[in-house]
Amino acid sequence: MIARVALTRRAIRPGRLGVDAAAALHLVATFVGYLSGAFLLPAAVALGYGEPVWPFLAAGGITLVTGVAVGRLTGGRQRVGLREGFLVVSLTWLLVPAFGAIPYLLADEAQLSNPIDAYFESMSGFTATGATALIDIEALDRSLVMWRQFSQWLGGMGIVVLAIAILPRLRVGGRQLLQSELAGPTEMERLTTTIRETARRLWFLYVGLTALMILVLAIIGWSGLDGAMTPFDAVAHAFSGIAIGGFSPRNDSIAAFGAATQWAIVVFIAIAGVNFLRLYRLFVQRQPGAVTRDEEFRLYLALLAAGSGLMLLELVAGGFFAGEEAVRHAVVQAVSIMTTTGFASADYTEWSALAGMTLLVLMFVGASAGSTGGSIKVVRHLLMMRITRRELEQTVHREAVVPIRLNGVVVDERALRSVITFIALYLLILAIGAVGLVVDARRAAVEIASFDAIGAAAACLGNVGPAFGFAGPFGSYEPFSDLSTGILAGLMWLGRLEIIPVAVLLTRGYWRR
Amino acid sequence: MRILVIGAGQVGTTIVEALHEEHSIAVVDTDPDRLSALSYRYDVMTLEGNGASRRTLREAGIADCDLVIACTSRDEVNIVAGILAERLAPSARTIIRTRNVEYLEIWHERQLDVDFVISSELETANAIARIIGLPAARQTDVFADGQVIMVEFDVPPDAPVGETIGRKLRDAVIPANSKVASVIRGDRMIVPRGDESVEPGDRVIVIGSPQAARDWGRILGGERSRTDDVVVFGAGDTGVAVARVLLDQGARVRIVEPDEERAREVAEELPGARVFNATGLDADFIERERIGSAEAAIFTMRSDERNLYAATLAKLHGVRFTVAVVAEPASVAVLERAGVDVAVNPRMVTAEEIVRFAHDPRIRQLAMLEGDRFEILDIVVRADSELVGIPFRELPMTGSLIGAIVRGDSAIFPHGDDRLAPGDRAIIFAEAARVHQVEQAL
Repeated sequence: MIARVALTRRAIRPGRLGVDAAAALHLVATFVGYLSGAFLLPAAVALGYGEPVWPFLAAGGITLVTGVAVGRLTGGRQRVGLREGFLVVSLTWLLVPAFGAIPYLLADEAQLSNPIDAYFESMSGFTATGATALIDIEALDRSLVMWRQFSQWLGGMGIVVLAIAILPRLRVGGRQLLQSELAGPTEMERLTTTIRETARRLWFLYVGLTALMILVLAIIGWSGLDGAMTPFDAVAHAFSGIAIGGFSPRNDSIAAFGAATQWAIVVFIAIAGVNFLRLYRLFVQRQPGAVTRDEEFRLYLALLAAGSGLMLLELVAGGFFAGEEAVRHAVVQAVSIMTTTGFASADYTEWSALAGMTLLVLMFVGASAGSTGGSIKVVRHLLMMRITRRELEQTVHREAVVPIRLNGVVVDERALRSVITFIALYLLILAIGAVGLVVDARRAAVEIASFDAIGAAAACLGNVGPAFGFAGPFGSYEPFSDLSTGILAGLMWLGRLEIIPVAVLLTRGYWRR
Repeated sequence: MRILVIGAGQVGTTIVEALHEEHSIAVVDTDPDRLSALSYRYDVMTLEGNGASRRTLREAGIADCDLVIACTSRDEVNIVAGILAERLAPSARTIIRTRNVEYLEIWHERQLDVDFVISSELETANAIARIIGLPAARQTDVFADGQVIMVEFDVPPDAPVGETIGRKLRDAVIPANSKVASVIRGDRMIVPRGDESVEPGDRVIVIGSPQAARDWGRILGGERSRTDDVVVFGAGDTGVAVARVLLDQGARVRIVEPDEERAREVAEELPGARVFNATGLDADFIERERIGSAEAAIFTMRSDERNLYAATLAKLHGVRFTVAVVAEPASVAVLERAGVDVAVNPRMVTAEEIVRFAHDPRIRQLAMLEGDRFEILDIVVRADSELVGIPFRELPMTGSLIGAIVRGDSAIFPHGDDRLAPGDRAIIFAEAARVHQVEQAL
């Protein structure tokens, strides 16, 4: 009897896969379809500046039609479960940048006429990385520049988080989807009972912080504190700043601005590098303890301070800067690189090797879990430290049972294993990526030092953006061959999704019933 | 007084044993064998049935009872019986036993409508912590919210004769705010008059302030005045309760538990303790973790035999003081003879606590010492007592001693010139035979 029921069930299940690929595609198509609305903003900018509007309208049209068509084809009564979630998130983050690249290609922009370069630029945008294939950003149309900035802002908090927050009646187990975007090693805490409401509040905070940053930068501009800060720049930098992206409309990043602007930007990106769930408790629910007593936050501040201090020491000792300038350049670079933003107030590639090494190490630190930043993230380092300490202790005291706590709460052993797995995978992929870059550089006769190759791979996998050598803060990734550009775009994709959701797709068990 | 005891297990039997002579007792249990064993030994009425059933309770005559004691091994039965008793016999006082500390908390918050709740685990933990916290102490009891403490000390046979030991009591230096209530030498019990003395090898019972008790511990136990490296073997409910109490006192606690999952649970529950997933029977482990350097080891494993083996092993490795929690009443003597310093039977502790409550309603606490020979009474002095206003040195009592008086919120350790006042709480050490006499006099 039971066997017969099981047989019948197996028979009526569609396809031979254990994953409902159609349902996943349907949801991805829905996301892509809604993306078309995002093209309205750069279209409006184009209208305002008297630039061609049609590339954005066309891109919007193509995106909408594709989304609706695929949605129709795959539509049904399927539901997206935990398994499909990985596929949905991975595909969404692969496809959205592709559609986002359409305006670059249509706009007849010589620097981005190569589809790989356009995809790289778009991927760097949505993943809030900040690496660019452009050599002269200021030569772009204002509307294209704003689309670059806006793509970072859309991707910063997460496309899926946004979709869950604003889309009507999205019948999905949102938790799984949200978790893979707002990643961190431990269970995501909820602000409210529903995922949708949590996502909404996160976006509310995200929008609020962005508005505040626009306001502050605009006031700095209007008040004459910094004549270079135009309203356009204020919006552009707020978009990429709160998203911890790092795109700037200026060729020499935020070095184009005065001290006041740079300090303001540093404060905002440091805030954006804090867990947004905790920021919400601080700013909206007025529970300062939620942030100040958080162990990750404390380590985050300590690491920011340590990184800045080390940079300052090297800048002063190396005789590069002195006084306020030295402090500012040390802090801006350290905070920007550690949080994985990618703004630069000076060309750090010209500094000492020790300064470069410090920045490379900071690239691996990252911001807090649940922030818009990338890389390994502070909480994982914190847990890894505790895992290591426990391991050493247990080599002496074999029978000791030592649970690991975070903020006084015991962390599940599975979560701890995932931290170790993540860090191992992160370093492995970094190594593969760096080797790939070097090998391909030789094939394509591009001259690159091995340190710079590692730097470029780390900057893309960690969603930092600028690296070293020609890919430095005022430079460009343009010299890389098409294959290398593709590898780097892939690293950004893996880094933004924190590897695991993608890696899961490569296991046989995922696809089997 | 008519008493209904629900549950004829070890606790119930001990209670019956202590109370059957003076009171009329009915016992309810589901097991007829236990009941018949009980009725052969004591003059009690027995009834077979479920203690949580209203019909059974009515049949047992609950309506006429003055005191209902629910002491089965099942918490829920006890709670239901307690609640039913409050309804069926509103004038009776109810005592329930629980193994779960959470029920105790609920009662403290007045959410459980019974007169007294006692948790075996917590009482045992407190008893052990007191034994551990005071070296050489055998048994202690606390009165008047901890202001007055009664401790039984073993004077080590090799204790140095000095200002306190070996000198006539009227000349001896005795810690302030304390009194020697009794000296036990072999089988003899000595009323400590001024010309008696405390000798090495004696057992003394002291009543005094907590500070005085610590001073006594220092005098009798040498340098070591508090124990702060303790190993608890077995992380059952009792083991965890002991560890928790010791951690609260600021001791360094190690817990050894053979079950992996349980070890992990406990490690998560008690962040202050170091937990090992091992067994106390593993000599290698004991050696490797230097268990021998611990000042005390407590054995709370489920089996008495294993406790004995592990305790002996720990002693071999150098643990100075061992305490075992045993299941069988007979094991207490066996383990102590075999070399375990103190063996505690949680059910005895529980029964003692319940009996203490069952005595005179005015008696808040009462400890049974030396089997049944002595009792500690905690009595509120009546206004018309013949002893009010008489200086202590002129009080006629013999064989009993007023250890302390609690007046208002403070404890007084009386001297010859102090007088009893109406409303005082007197903490009295008395021979069992004289308890009745003392109660009447006050």
